[in-house]
Amino acid sequence: MSAVAIETTPPLWRRLIGFNLLTAVVLGVGGWYLGWFIGHQVAGASIDYFGDIDQNDVAIFCGYIIGLLGFLIGLGFGVYPWSRMRGYPPSLREKETEGAGRYFGLCTDHKVVGIQYLWGIGLFFFVGGLNAMFIRMELLSPTSHIFPPGQYLTLVGMHGTMMMGMFTSGILGPFANYLVPLMIGARRMAFPRIEALTFWLLMSAGAILTTTIFFGGFPTGWTGYEPLNDQANAGMDAYIVFFALVGISMCLLGLNMIATIVTMRAPGLTWSRLPIFCWGVLSTAILMVLAAPVLVAVLGMAMLDRTAQTTFFLPTGGGSPYLYENLFWIFGHPEVYILALPGFAIVLELLPVFARKPLWGYRLSVAGLLGVTLLSWLVWQHHIFVSGINSDLRPFYMLSTELISIPTGFTFLCGLMTLWRGNLRFPVPMLFCLAWFFNFLIGGLSGVFLSDVPSDVTTHGSFFSMAHFHYTIMGGLVFTFFAAIYYWVPKMTGYMLNERLGKVHFWLMFISFNSTFGPLFAIGFLGQPRRAVTYAHTLQFLNDWVSISAFVLGFSLLLFLVNFVWSLVFAKVPAPANPWGSRSLEWQLPSPVPVHNFDRIPHITSDPYDYGEARGPVAVPAPTGVGGMS
Amino acid sequence: MSELVSHATDYEIVEGEPPELLGRNLNSGAHLFASATAFFFLAFVFAYFYLRSLNNADKWRPKHIDPSLAYGTIVMALIVLSALLVRIGLLQHRAGRRAQWRRTGVVALALGIAGVVVQVIEWTAIGFGPADGGYASVFFGWTAFNVLFTIGTLFWLENIVATSLRYRSHATGSPAPGEASGDPGRPGHDISDPLSLVRPGLESLSFYWGFVAGLGVLSWVVLYLI
Repeated sequence: MSAVAIETTPPLWRRLIGFNLLTAVVLGVGGWYLGWFIGHQVAGASIDYFGDIDQNDVAIFCGYIIGLLGFLIGLGFGVYPWSRMRGYPPSLREKETEGAGRYFGLCTDHKVVGIQYLWGIGLFFFVGGLNAMFIRMELLSPTSHIFPPGQYLTLVGMHGTMMMGMFTSGILGPFANYLVPLMIGARRMAFPRIEALTFWLLMSAGAILTTTIFFGGFPTGWTGYEPLNDQANAGMDAYIVFFALVGISMCLLGLNMIATIVTMRAPGLTWSRLPIFCWGVLSTAILMVLAAPVLVAVLGMAMLDRTAQTTFFLPTGGGSPYLYENLFWIFGHPEVYILALPGFAIVLELLPVFARKPLWGYRLSVAGLLGVTLLSWLVWQHHIFVSGINSDLRPFYMLSTELISIPTGFTFLCGLMTLWRGNLRFPVPMLFCLAWFFNFLIGGLSGVFLSDVPSDVTTHGSFFSMAHFHYTIMGGLVFTFFAAIYYWVPKMTGYMLNERLGKVHFWLMFISFNSTFGPLFAIGFLGQPRRAVTYAHTLQFLNDWVSISAFVLGFSLLLFLVNFVWSLVFAKVPAPANPWGSRSLEWQLPSPVPVHNFDRIPHITSDPYDYGEARGPVAVPAPTGVGGMS
Repeated sequence: MSELVSHATDYEIVEGEPPELLGRNLNSGAHLFASATAFFFLAFVFAYFYLRSLNNADKWRPKHIDPSLAYGTIVMALIVLSALLVRIGLLQHRAGRRAQWRRTGVVALALGIAGVVVQVIEWTAIGFGPADGGYASVFFGWTAFNVLFTIGTLFWLENIVATSLRYRSHATGSPAPGEASGDPGRPGHDISDPLSLVRPGLESLSFYWGFVAGLGVLSWVVLYLI
């Protein structure tokens, strides 16, 4: 088989006026105006419920869609389909070169895409976090004092939508894209162009969501409930396009992950040797592939209601808002586990490394992950216990929701037993993993109150449920996200993050997180409703406490940013090839990893968790061959 | 230095990948995308039966909402026929009758396009609009997205047919590397023998197109017969 160089650097003029981010932005903006113009030609102004904005939903949707196409064409995504359309045969890779420029355009190197995701999601995490700070500033006083109620609702909606939308790919985007091919001994993902496409779709979605402020925002929160969705002003269109793009991106990301893990494992990497992180990715990806299309479909219906005057969600026209609520939560509850499962997987992946013990109950852990994947389809109606669900259905959904704590418990048990009698070390990634146990326990236990119909009736619309899902999502996902950053960024960049600053960041974040969200349980029990800008004067002390804690939490995240920039830009302490002493395959490669990962595809000889046992290397180079599954 | 990598970070060489691996990828990708497609249309099936059972404001399906069975049957038949022809084309390709496959592929593509055109004609002649109740909403939404998926699949079919036609005179060997990637500056293939991917592409397409045609039959039953 011949070896070939796959890319040469184009001349400067080609880089400036060719397919790149600059061209993409120009074509994206131009496309938006073109779509806007076309939309105005084909349709007049839509029904304007509030009368404060001259809106034409058809023009806005056309603007977003044609703008998105322009943006993707500007990045170069049109070249390959055009080439294939003219009959040229397939190829795999594009722009897999060295240099910083590859991070700002279409690149099919999975490691580049992973790092693009890390920065991109980090940016929107910052925007979403800033919204949270504004929300807590407003809630310093029991009366509206900074933002009018409409703006406050948009802030809450922007925060929730940004976080829930962007963080669906929070682990799989940066870490699974970067690490799965390395962990399974492959040179690439199964579909490299689709991998790049998922990232740029997600970034486009984030940019589109921020444009909602030019159209009056949206009043529905992150769930986009009907009938408010149909009635809201033009800012709602941005929400619909955002979440639809997130859904498409999520579905394609999941599809790519499953195909990669199923077909591209190196020889010897049997299912029982697959790293638990890959099992977590696989479980999450299954949910993504199946749940995200339902979201896209329901948002398609909402778009048709707003543009083509269909009546899917209008009771007077033969529709029903409950149709939206059901379909949204058929997606929405698996979505919760799309967020949680990668966190489980990271904890289980990292604990053996820092406990110097094999992962306890590997098969039980896998069963736990797959059990959650299955059961997460059977619980969605607990989200609408108080929204008019037939009361005969309540017991089933209550029990199925409580049942899901069993496979979740498997994960917990396996994690704790891995720690038991381990030779524990406590670097920053381990601290974040241990915090997960504490946070997720509180999140899980408070979830039982919400799955139980009688207690859900009194707590559902209050800050109690808000505290619950922040404990599960932020305590479960964001803490493990940081564990992953501290653990794998040395592999991704070749530089260590500062350990001392990392520990300060951890303790500040852990304490302020609990100080922020713990009191919200009490505030919820005392009756403060979600999404309301005013509250009872008697609750001001608790709210002020929460706000100040939230500011400290925000400060801790800034401290992380300082550490990140300081360590990678200024200090630049080179990372050893395997600083944590891990047996996993990605740590057997140099840091950062070469462009094409492996000179020769490895042959896997043992599982990655044989700590404390006298064993040979986890992999050796295979004698011949460039790929294949075991 | 790890024994798995000896070239360090300046490594810019990749071997041409075996097409069998890409064939497996395509096959698993097609099956996974079919699963995603099923869940997408599940939302419309749910909407159909949910809104039908509620019949809010007696507006599920007013008397005059009655799409033409003839149009629906023609659309469904064209799509199913096209999918069948792709299957036959695959068998011809397997049997080495490449010229026959190319003709069959072109006819299958034409039938698929005809199906889309007839669907558009039906929309313009249907006699009711999307605002005329729950059924009308589901009808327009379902058929519109069905057409989108159909067009996407036809694009895939067109790619394979176009490759077969473009290289029909190449008895052996591969196209130049620049042709394979659409990038004239590229000096080598990243897939060894990329033309051999026509077969796995056709196999995956045949499965997915058959699946979409099956959805067409389902939508015909639900929207026109029930």
